[in-house]
Amino acid sequence: MNELTTQLEVRMPAPGVSVIEISGEVTRESDGALADAYQRASDEARTIILAFDKLEYMNSSGIGLLVTLLVRAQRSRQSILACGLTEHYRQIFELTRLDEVISIYETEDAALTAVA
Amino acid sequence: MASLQPTIRRVSLRRPRSAAAPADVAETVTEPVQQATFDDESLALDIAANDPIVAYLESASGAVELATLDLDSPALVELRANGITLVVPLVSNGELIGLLHVGRRRSDQDYSADDRRLLETLAAQAAPAVRVGQLVREQQAEMQARGRLEQELAVAQLIQQNFLPKELPQLAGWQVAAYYGPARTVGGDFYDFIELPDGRYGLVVGDVTDKGIPAAMVMAATRSVLRASAQRLQEPGAVLARVNDNLCPDIPENMFVTCFYGVLDPATGHLLYANAGHNLPLVRSGSESSELRATGMPLGLMPGMNYEECETTIALDATVLLYSDGLVEAHDPAREMFGTARAVEVLAADREAEPLIADLLGALESFGAGHQEQEDDITLVVIQRREAAPSSALADFELDSAPGHEREAMRLVGAALASSGLEPARLERLQTAVAEATMNAMEHGNGYSANRPVRVIVSLSESEAVVRIVDHGGDHAIRAAATPDIEAKLAGLQSPRGWGLFLIEKMVDRVDQHTKGSLHTVELAMLLKGGDDATDDA
Repeated sequence: MNELTTQLEVRMPAPGVSVIEISGEVTRESDGALADAYQRASDEARTIILAFDKLEYMNSSGIGLLVTLLVRAQRSRQSILACGLTEHYRQIFELTRLDEVISIYETEDAALTAVA
Repeated sequence: MASLQPTIRRVSLRRPRSAAAPADVAETVTEPVQQATFDDESLALDIAANDPIVAYLESASGAVELATLDLDSPALVELRANGITLVVPLVSNGELIGLLHVGRRRSDQDYSADDRRLLETLAAQAAPAVRVGQLVREQQAEMQARGRLEQELAVAQLIQQNFLPKELPQLAGWQVAAYYGPARTVGGDFYDFIELPDGRYGLVVGDVTDKGIPAAMVMAATRSVLRASAQRLQEPGAVLARVNDNLCPDIPENMFVTCFYGVLDPATGHLLYANAGHNLPLVRSGSESSELRATGMPLGLMPGMNYEECETTIALDATVLLYSDGLVEAHDPAREMFGTARAVEVLAADREAEPLIADLLGALESFGAGHQEQEDDITLVVIQRREAAPSSALADFELDSAPGHEREAMRLVGAALASSGLEPARLERLQTAVAEATMNAMEHGNGYSANRPVRVIVSLSESEAVVRIVDHGGDHAIRAAATPDIEAKLAGLQSPRGWGLFLIEKMVDRVDQHTKGSLHTVELAMLLKGGDDATDDA
């Protein structure tokens, strides 16, 4: 069985902007790790970019986690961007209308340019 | 044609009648035809039942040259003595019922392959008609004993029963049951199962307006033409159009035929159908009831009609009921009609095919239709899809119910359908739906119990890739509490979760659910030639 788990790396490429680089899976099991990464990313950032380039698998529970994250971000008046989504997950963002509350960019650079 | 006419003779060969004729003697009456007119001279030929020519002709596949026969047969001697050179056996339901025979051609040339084909076609079409004539004649002796009306009814009934299928088709993975209950006055109901050359099955239910012998004869003719057309034409709409054009010139005035004709692929459940004004078949699938709707004029009213063709896929555990108006138009003593709603109610009990027919008849009885004479024939045909034909499965595996195993399901489904022709993007969507349904099955169906695996079956039909996911949760239809709405979720009015079923439904072209005992099945299907996705690139 494939034992891919979630790996989350937090970077701050520009002042006030954090990137959470997501590798592997986003499922119910990612809950703690994602909440923790979000905490670290939000310390000094108003903008958080979720980089999905290394995403292997996200299921409906993972989408639920993203919504939870969005609720928190709204409360603390942060904006969330996404980049690096495959066509498939982009389509899922559209179907779930996540794309209406998360601005989607092709690449991390494009996202950074947009918020600069 | 012209060269054949002078020597065509019309022959009918009577089958031995147990009472009226000695059991070992069959009798033929031959009426010679000259210059295409019948004269009074008739040749009677007796063929003993044990004459070897009977067995020979029953197994012959077409025209037989008498010169080539070497049989110790008195009948053969007599046929030759009458100048007959070629015979075509008339066979109905495996029995020799007569001979079409011709003498030498005027030109003295041999009969060509075309001539023989013409004679064979003529014989194939004449056989059912001759048989009907014989059945009528067989009843004539009793005509005087009983009242004429009673007798006619008996003949009609005899014709009717003679042309209903003797047995039900055996289809792997399907249950089939049928019932025909004639009214005292015998209507013109009929049903049929036609095995087609490509492994598909033609399903027929029809009803001739009018009653008695005329209706029975039109029914027999319709059935024969339909059978012949079904073998030649693929599309049910074209078949009905052909039957209609064939019936129109000959059907008695004020008579017409309603008829449903569907072509079922037993391997996939795909059903292509057309309807000439017959009662709409009912379908029960999961907890849904629906009708198989297609428009078309009844047969025999006017030539050149077109018949709308529709298609559906009969899902696992779904039931289709074909019926005649004798069911839904049965009256209770207060003249209220049984109606389709009551039939739908009976279907909703999700019974097996045979008990379902008993239930329908029971419901008619308790409705009160049984207290008076049955007004019309009642025909019921039930087909149920029970399981996938095993041969069609591309993959069939079990996964232990544990978190994360849904990814294995995705991987195996992906591998099974890699060369299916399904576009990669659509395969990925199907895989996402498979993962969601497998998670549901493991969690809600099997409660993550180690000894309750989830079974995944992947199959491919002409039109669809189908994945079935089976758990042990019994009747626990997956249902979202509410359609997820991102704004409601962000406003805290909905739980952030609850995306599973939404995703499944958005990802695939068709979702069905069925329960059979403790087994719950979710069926996910993706059209192979799709691309009409809900969302395109933004």
